[in-house]
Amino acid sequence: MTDVTLHATPRERDVMREQVRFIALALRRETLVLAVVLALVTIRIVFAIVRHCAASWFDGDPSLAITIASFLFPFAVWRGQKRFGPAFLWTLPVDRGRLALARVFAGWVWLMAALVVVAAWRWGLALVAGLSPIMFTFAGATAMYLFGSAWILGLRHPLRWLIGATGGFLLLGNLVEALGRTPSGEWRIVTWSSALRWAVYGPYGLRTLLSSHGIFHAAENAAATWRTLPGFAQWITTTLSWLGAGLLALWLATLRHRERRRY
Amino acid sequence: MNEAFAVATHGLSVRYGRETALHAVDLRVPEGAVYILIGANGAGKSTAMKVLLNLVRPGEGSAEVFGLDTASHGPAVRAQIGYIPEQHEHDYGWMTGAQLMRHVAAHYPAWDSEYAAHLVDTLGVRADKKASTLSKGEARRLQFVLALAHRPPLLLLDEPTDGLDPMARNRTLAQLAEHLADTPTTIVIATHHVHEVESLADHVGVLRGGRLVAQMTRDDVRTTVIRYRAEVPEGWRMPAELRVASARRSAIGREGEWTLIGDRADVTARLTAAGATIRDVAPLSLEDAALAFLAEEEAP
Repeated sequence: MTDVTLHATPRERDVMREQVRFIALALRRETLVLAVVLALVTIRIVFAIVRHCAASWFDGDPSLAITIASFLFPFAVWRGQKRFGPAFLWTLPVDRGRLALARVFAGWVWLMAALVVVAAWRWGLALVAGLSPIMFTFAGATAMYLFGSAWILGLRHPLRWLIGATGGFLLLGNLVEALGRTPSGEWRIVTWSSALRWAVYGPYGLRTLLSSHGIFHAAENAAATWRTLPGFAQWITTTLSWLGAGLLALWLATLRHRERRRY
Repeated sequence: MNEAFAVATHGLSVRYGRETALHAVDLRVPEGAVYILIGANGAGKSTAMKVLLNLVRPGEGSAEVFGLDTASHGPAVRAQIGYIPEQHEHDYGWMTGAQLMRHVAAHYPAWDSEYAAHLVDTLGVRADKKASTLSKGEARRLQFVLALAHRPPLLLLDEPTDGLDPMARNRTLAQLAEHLADTPTTIVIATHHVHEVESLADHVGVLRGGRLVAQMTRDDVRTTVIRYRAEVPEGWRMPAELRVASARRSAIGREGEWTLIGDRADVTARLTAAGATIRDVAPLSLEDAALAFLAEEEAP
């Protein structure tokens, strides 16, 4: 029996707080870039508002950009961090799986903060321009962030896999274009498989997720906008399904970093 | 009375693919000891430390730190350990030394900020510089601060003097000795530069090809690893039961010099019984003794 007074492990809330602080520090460069981009775009939009031609700035649907940015955000959160092998992170006195999840959570906090800022910025400018702002899909961004985190944590070479997958996706895109759409507007390649069709165009599919309820909408166009959205029950089922899938993917990925309990 | 061990491994074996890194290793590091783990490159020293931190899973066997199984109490075990890895480069090269210290401190409730500041001063650490811009020696000294400042009961130091210039090395080792005097600590030092840390050591283990070929106290080394100079008859052969670490026979004449491992009285008696006339007996330094163990297999 040892006579040594053993040291305690850190409290979970201290670890969480430190991870949030750590990510803020790690993303300073990205934050600066975002601030500069927003400032430059603001100047251009203000000029456009003065000339009464700002509508084009608010026409586009940002959901695809948000989806891609949310998926890629974990690359910034985990930048430079060795995840496999005897990395510094795993020498800390915290359960490895929990530490990985704490960092994912910290990244999510800052992703949501960034989305709120961008949404508020867009909303404010749209109001000044007298236009209707586009809604932001926070739940969709969260789901994509979870998948991106699972990608980073689960794969030893996530960037290589991403480049490979993107290349494959582009090839597939050409094929999709070549095959065209059905009369009902669905991509033919997706309708080739009933399961794929269900996953994309089904009542709980990707399209429903990406058109999810946002928190901002323009007063004058609200009714029209809401009519095009899925019903709340359908949306909540879709959102929970995709979040659940994202969490499952994340959990499976963190299993690769669990404490070495079994011999 | 049972001796309490800070580190104990039981039949520890680790394989990397077809390569055996550790084979049935039974380390015993008493509490409060300064244990030098000696071995050539690739002998398994770093792997043994990684098993203690639960960074590497053993194929067979188990390891304990202060009685805690490393596999089932990973976080609790790591809370007791200050670790200096073999590599100098830090994963968070974009952080300054001060930021890195604050980050590490958040994970160790026992972190002593005043002591950390003292270490920064004493070791001459540039806390304002980014970790990626530090020289090897500066990075190593920063690693010392990170490992020592929470006053861990166990320090695992993997080639700790690697990258330090002679002055920095002396200052760092003096600080380590001071730390040892102030704080109840067990230290395991993995190195192949034994002479640098010889003054601190009181226990030694020798790893060769993943096997622990020797484990003893410093006093035991002094009494069991000995160089014998003897005169022997023509055609004389060393008794097969003696462990020969190294041998040197003069080209002419009948005198030779052997480093033998075993109880001095017993070895002397066996040599004499075999017809050798012993002229001189000399104990070895810790480094020469370690070299003797490392060379044992290749000895004629």
